[in-house]
Amino acid sequence: MGRAVSGGSGARVLAGILWIVWYGLWAFLGVAAGIYAGMASKDELEFILPAILMGTCLFWQLAPILTTDAGASLNVRKILVYPISDGELFVVELLLRLTTALEVLLVLGGTLIGLLLNPAVPHWLPVPAISIFIAFNLFLSTGLRSLLERLMAIRHVREVVVLLTVACAALPQLLAVSGRAHALRRLLSFRQSGLLPWAAAARLAIGDAVALPVLGLCAFTAAAYVFGRLQFRRSLRFDSTAARSAGSTGSGRWTERFYRWPAALFSDPLAALFEKELRTLARAPRFRIVFLMGFSFGAIIWWPLMHGGGHSGPGGVSYPVVVSGYAMLLLSEVAFWNQFGFDRSAAQLYFSAPVPFSLVVRAKNLAGVTFVALEIALILTLCTALRVRMTLSNVFEAVLVTLTLALFFLSVGNLSSIYQPRPLNPEHSWGRSSAGRFQVYMLLLFPVMVGPIALAYVAAWFWQSRALWYGILGADALVGAACYCFATAAAVAAAGKRKEEFLSALGQSGGPFTVE
Amino acid sequence: MTDGTPAIAVRDLRKVYGDKAAVDGLTLAVPRGCFFGFLGPNGAGKTTTIRMLIGLAPPTSGAIEILGLPMPERGLEIKRHIGVVPDESVLFDRLTGGEFLEFAGRMYGLDRRVAVERARELLNLFELDAGSRKLIVEYSKGMRKRLAMAAALIHRPQVFLLDEPFEGVDAVGARMMKDLLTDQVRQGATVFLTSHVLEVVERLCDSVAIIHQGRLVMEGSMAALREGSETLEDAFVRLVGAERMQDKLDWL
Repeated sequence: MGRAVSGGSGARVLAGILWIVWYGLWAFLGVAAGIYAGMASKDELEFILPAILMGTCLFWQLAPILTTDAGASLNVRKILVYPISDGELFVVELLLRLTTALEVLLVLGGTLIGLLLNPAVPHWLPVPAISIFIAFNLFLSTGLRSLLERLMAIRHVREVVVLLTVACAALPQLLAVSGRAHALRRLLSFRQSGLLPWAAAARLAIGDAVALPVLGLCAFTAAAYVFGRLQFRRSLRFDSTAARSAGSTGSGRWTERFYRWPAALFSDPLAALFEKELRTLARAPRFRIVFLMGFSFGAIIWWPLMHGGGHSGPGGVSYPVVVSGYAMLLLSEVAFWNQFGFDRSAAQLYFSAPVPFSLVVRAKNLAGVTFVALEIALILTLCTALRVRMTLSNVFEAVLVTLTLALFFLSVGNLSSIYQPRPLNPEHSWGRSSAGRFQVYMLLLFPVMVGPIALAYVAAWFWQSRALWYGILGADALVGAACYCFATAAAVAAAGKRKEEFLSALGQSGGPFTVE
Repeated sequence: MTDGTPAIAVRDLRKVYGDKAAVDGLTLAVPRGCFFGFLGPNGAGKTTTIRMLIGLAPPTSGAIEILGLPMPERGLEIKRHIGVVPDESVLFDRLTGGEFLEFAGRMYGLDRRVAVERARELLNLFELDAGSRKLIVEYSKGMRKRLAMAAALIHRPQVFLLDEPFEGVDAVGARMMKDLLTDQVRQGATVFLTSHVLEVVERLCDSVAIIHQGRLVMEGSMAALREGSETLEDAFVRLVGAERMQDKLDWL
């Protein structure tokens, strides 16, 4: 949230409202944390304060990765030519890291004020405790970002990194679900994890002890500083091109068969365009990461909510449907909303070749749907491996709902890809490129796209009729198909008229700062 | 596509961005089988002209005909017969060189097998290593230009629209590209070339035109130019660079 908004005043107002709502929510959480911290007894604080601090630490460090939004950062290669010292660049990078943590700072600020007002807490301790804790997080996030950025530049390593990160993020949830909540409690426990940064900061803040927590917190902060500085310096000297070239190759025999299958169904030039899309997407690190996260992270985070995976009646949503929907949402920016993002300036080849633009759009849509279908297949395989209770009806449900939803996503995506094209760097394994205005549109359109599907579930639940669910979903599919035809025709016509703006937007390159 | 009509005919072409005319009343006729040099300083309107010829930018006013067919009305038909090397090497980075050439061939209507075979031959000719599985993203600037040139050749076009095709290419590669283009012209193709290297234009082209601030300031045959006392460079500097030569910075 809070990115610069391009576009008209209406969009700016909407983006402003969303900004206020988003940060208002976090401010509310900060106030709530403050009120609690101000009124809680020391015993209550001993339990809840480490939890708050651990939560903020996890959010600060992991949210940029898991939401694939790393916030603003220095585009080092563009700034290295100037006579600026590494130290000065590091300070700028530290300040930019704050942009990924405004939400956390609101909560920590509220907690700090609450602690200062709490008579049970010594007045002079919360400020240094929370300040050192913020510094620790700042250094750590700088180091982690630099390290991950380098690791993500290396083929295959990045996939492992994402899986490990996902596993780390899901650890508390897995511990809680798997009946090992005591391990989680130990992590949060004031006494048993006393020297971990969140526990040390909490102990120091409420005056449980001073010397040992100060020592622990300072040691962690110093280590984080050394880590952050070292990783940042290594990133400055990192040759991403060399790292990329170490692993960048074309396809092997099996993947080649996968890329070649469109030729069995379609004739050229559609088949050629479709093949090119499959190759381009499958080889883009950014796409591979979201594809991987779709079924791995998606399966984990929805596990507790849909534990068991079965229906709770005709209107119940099954686990595979939720994970498939989530996976599609992750794929959506690249595969639907901004289909020409990876092409960047090469998109002009579509206009200089003797091919109707409608075929280009169709090929991109077919590639998008192919990857969604692959994602569903992987999710269903994973569900089978995890022994999720699944009937054939659940499988059908996942396929039907996701493909129907895909029709609505494609309808909106075809238009947004023409009206809001943004260049995407396929090498940047995480990052958001959507303009603020576009994010506003998406936020408003998302309920409209999901609404028809939700209607089928609500009606089936209300009248307890599975047949009704099929009926409404069938109608949704028809409406979706009509929307798709209309939107695609409109997008193709718009591409003809807006060719120059479209290509100019895709040809833009970034400056020394990037919010990707 | 009547024979006898110019390969490229442009009449009173204008392209306005805001209140600035990038191309202002350009009229040109490039005969078939001609090696035509289109020159101008940076920002003169050369790339804009080529973008209009390809159909990437609609003209504000004026008319374009390529091989006797009006652009953009018969755009798809025209595009089947032109080969383009844009100023930037716009290539799909996540394909290998071979995949890109095959893709380009199939886009221009070649059968897949023919496209694969020609792609292999072109890769060998341009020394881009046909067996390599290297993605285009790893190519150097010169390799990208060579690949773009190979892609422009794969469907044997009748008209080549080349924007700085030798930029970044080493001497051997550039020589090979020049020989290929000269050979294509001998076989009846037309080349419309922009380049900042005047020696190249002087040696290759039959005719030249110079554009400055969107307007045509000179058009003629190289033969006529050679008969005069001026070199192409002299004429170019006189027409477009005289005022810039007087600008000096006191502190520099």
